[in-house]
Amino acid sequence: MHLANAFNVALTDMSGELTFQLKNLEDCLQSEMVNQADLVQLRGQRKRLVACTVKNGVINDFSSISLSGGSARVLVDGKSWGFSSTNMLDTKNIEKMLKHAIKLAKASLKLKHEEIALEPVPIVKRDESTPTRKPLRDFPMEEIAEIPLEAYRGAKKVGANVADVKATFMGIEDDKLFLSSEGSRIHQSSTRVLLFADVLAKRNARLCPASENLGHTGGMELFDKTSPFSLGKTVAEKAVRLLDAKAPPAGKFHVVVDPTLCATMLHEAIGHPLEADLAMSGGGFGNQIGQPVSSELITIYDSGHTSNGLGYFPFDDEGVECKRTNLIEKGVLTSFMHDRTSAALANVSPTGNAHAWDYSVEPLIRQTNIGIEAGDHSLEEMIEVVKEGLLLEGTFGGQADVNADFTFGFQNAKRIQKGKLAEEFRGANVAGNAIEVFKTIDAVGKEVILRPGACGKYQFALQGRIVPAIRCEMMVGGAGGR
Amino acid sequence: MRLMTDWSFLKDAVHKAIRKLEEKVLTHAEAFFTYAKTTEVTIRNSEVLTQNRVDDSGVGFRVAVAGNKVGFACTNMMNQEAILEAGEKALSIAKVSSEIPHFMLPQGSSMPKVRGLFDPAVAAIEVEEAVDKASRAIAAAEGFDKRVIVKDGRFLYESEWRGIMNTSGVDFEERGTKVLAYLGGSGKQNGEVTSSCYDLILERTKDLEPEKLGENVGKKIVDMLDPKSLKSFQGSVIFGPEAVSYQLFDVLTAALKGDAVIAGSSAWANKLGQTIASENLTVVDDALLEGGFASRSFDGEGCPSHKTTLVTKGKLVGFLHDATSANALKARNSGNASRFPGGFDMIHSIVGQGYRTRPEIYPSNLKIQPGDKTRDELVSEVEEGVLVESMAGFPQAGSGVISAQLSQAFFIQNGEIQNPVRSGMISGVAFEWFKKISKVGNDTKRFLHAIVPSLLVEDVKIIGA
Repeated sequence: MHLANAFNVALTDMSGELTFQLKNLEDCLQSEMVNQADLVQLRGQRKRLVACTVKNGVINDFSSISLSGGSARVLVDGKSWGFSSTNMLDTKNIEKMLKHAIKLAKASLKLKHEEIALEPVPIVKRDESTPTRKPLRDFPMEEIAEIPLEAYRGAKKVGANVADVKATFMGIEDDKLFLSSEGSRIHQSSTRVLLFADVLAKRNARLCPASENLGHTGGMELFDKTSPFSLGKTVAEKAVRLLDAKAPPAGKFHVVVDPTLCATMLHEAIGHPLEADLAMSGGGFGNQIGQPVSSELITIYDSGHTSNGLGYFPFDDEGVECKRTNLIEKGVLTSFMHDRTSAALANVSPTGNAHAWDYSVEPLIRQTNIGIEAGDHSLEEMIEVVKEGLLLEGTFGGQADVNADFTFGFQNAKRIQKGKLAEEFRGANVAGNAIEVFKTIDAVGKEVILRPGACGKYQFALQGRIVPAIRCEMMVGGAGGR
Repeated sequence: MRLMTDWSFLKDAVHKAIRKLEEKVLTHAEAFFTYAKTTEVTIRNSEVLTQNRVDDSGVGFRVAVAGNKVGFACTNMMNQEAILEAGEKALSIAKVSSEIPHFMLPQGSSMPKVRGLFDPAVAAIEVEEAVDKASRAIAAAEGFDKRVIVKDGRFLYESEWRGIMNTSGVDFEERGTKVLAYLGGSGKQNGEVTSSCYDLILERTKDLEPEKLGENVGKKIVDMLDPKSLKSFQGSVIFGPEAVSYQLFDVLTAALKGDAVIAGSSAWANKLGQTIASENLTVVDDALLEGGFASRSFDGEGCPSHKTTLVTKGKLVGFLHDATSANALKARNSGNASRFPGGFDMIHSIVGQGYRTRPEIYPSNLKIQPGDKTRDELVSEVEEGVLVESMAGFPQAGSGVISAQLSQAFFIQNGEIQNPVRSGMISGVAFEWFKKISKVGNDTKRFLHAIVPSLLVEDVKIIGA
């Protein structure tokens, strides 16, 4: 069988469906049609998800999702890409898929002036699977339901002011195939588990939300460190505590940003402008390689190889290894995140940042696990020199524009007065221009943590962030007069 | 393995699975299934970037057993065996699930005919035409003014069959087409880049004017050049349709959802029949609207579509319901079970929508009744304030708290627009804003789930940079 040989390694855990996909995709790559393209990248995927949401003690969504599909991406005449996907990977539909991709690529040829001279990448034949200590498949549905139920019980234990509790468990088992006309054959198998807890506390007409997530690439050992019960309890305690808190003062402040909020800020406001496709669109960090762009205390990198990071990937969806790339070194811009196309246009090597959320969509430039190198300050040391400022904690997510303007929400804040923490405030938003804000960083925490993250740039992605606390200047918006 | 490559095969296989489930011990079984083809051209950085074609089909089963325990399972593997297996899986999950009080599915009934949802020309679109339209939109935007740079966009043509079948006699199918054209860009002058501006066309038919889309985006961007900083003050705010369709819509929706009323998390849970907003606010959910982007003959669980008044002249008169929430509150099912709800949801993001999820309560076309004021007349009413075309930042939908960055806004003084705003924030509680709507514009615009005009709101807190 030429199929098994194609990988030069034994394929582990290949399901019947995946073997079927592999055979048909391999046959397709041997067809005449492939010659009409400079490069053909075929992907196949088998994805199984389980989701269980508990709302106020009731399992209101318990789902099993079983997906299979594949895609063809082709480069024609060195200029134009076409992409086609289908959930039907029989021989006939795969052939149709490739035919579509070629037709689509040709459709914009006359508009394309720039040659995409792809740098050859190493031919990879690999079978990779993420190590998991407690495999998802060993857990029956009853036990899976207990995870969000426990988070609910933990939250409810906090008391009568806990009005609304939503806890969601998600488990994802993912098998991906990558085959290219250049010769690469990659099988990647991974498991991801996540737990989200959202609590709304209520007293009379006052409402206060709080949330926290756990998530990693790996198995159910995720809950060995933090139990679902304690996650629910922690979130509910915060929501109830904040019921009495006032809105924070508005204006520009010297702030200490905890790692959780720092993660959102790093991803949204600095990470996005470092993605080559966004950088090339003229905003943010465009054209400043070699220039100081940030505080010299800051070194930022992206690495798909960070174990357990939600953005853990040995290879990207163009078959490029997801090694660590330094993006900013001691404040100096050193690299953008690239796919093969942006790398070719910028005349650099690809960095393994081409990722597609699933088989049905085209790879885009995405962060994997983005990180800030640890500094030398403890949290106490960061706070003790602030005369009048705020400690900002937790995140409600946010948005950033390509010009690096951002808005995002924090969950709670504490006043810093003469180096000491004072009263607590409820959440609000921070806003500003990330590049300007990062220039004002005057301290970086010595402890980094790995956070789960998600991103919705044109398509969804699960990502990791490796982050310390930072101190900087930022605009805080008070939220309402309640 | 037999693979099904068209709608009738899928329907047949789903029928068989439902018949098979009927033989089991259960109270309800339901299948929602779709078969869709999408052709999309994407635009990045002044160019047509790539062309995509996505074929997708699948079926999601909801099964309930005694005690209202519900399970869901779906598959996109198009063979009879996988489809039967998904039905069985939903049943086995239901058995280990917990009670959903008042769980209900619609009974079989007749379906209204909603016009203007399908255009065979969209279903037969050739990619070359989509590429042509996309490139004309780019040219129109950048031709409008040389400082305009198109950053992203998409021209998407979708053709979809959707079907619903349950063990209470529901068996509907419907074919629809959708065309979505989106273009976004920014402007650069004196080294300063404006925030992003975009415009959107949502149609059911093939004919759209890419030049108009491009010119609209170009004009929006040029209007944002030479921004000035803003002082902090309390003043009038005109929320343009785009701002209404996002943050204000989210707050409205969260308060109007029947399940939020049951849970007590809706701010309007106990306010039915009471005045909750200015007399200038009238809100209707209309799934029957001819050619409406979110119109449909039946909702995501097979309830025939309705037009439902929710707020009339500031008085709360109804909520958005699915079969379960209507059953719990003894209200009429408004047909708002949605398989494609908007807004951000982590599960939908990870899993997908349509056949991949159980339905959720969400508006179809949520319409705010327009007033009689043109945009210029609204501006002329404002002594000192801000026109907010678009703002960035998620609202806290439950509490109505919004603190958002002004991404496309203009300072107004003495009834005239003075200048675009460089940065600043707006902050307050949307439920208070609804009470202070003093005028409503006649400039209605269509969005995915909203059809809304400008709203003039008094006494809003504006935070300068």
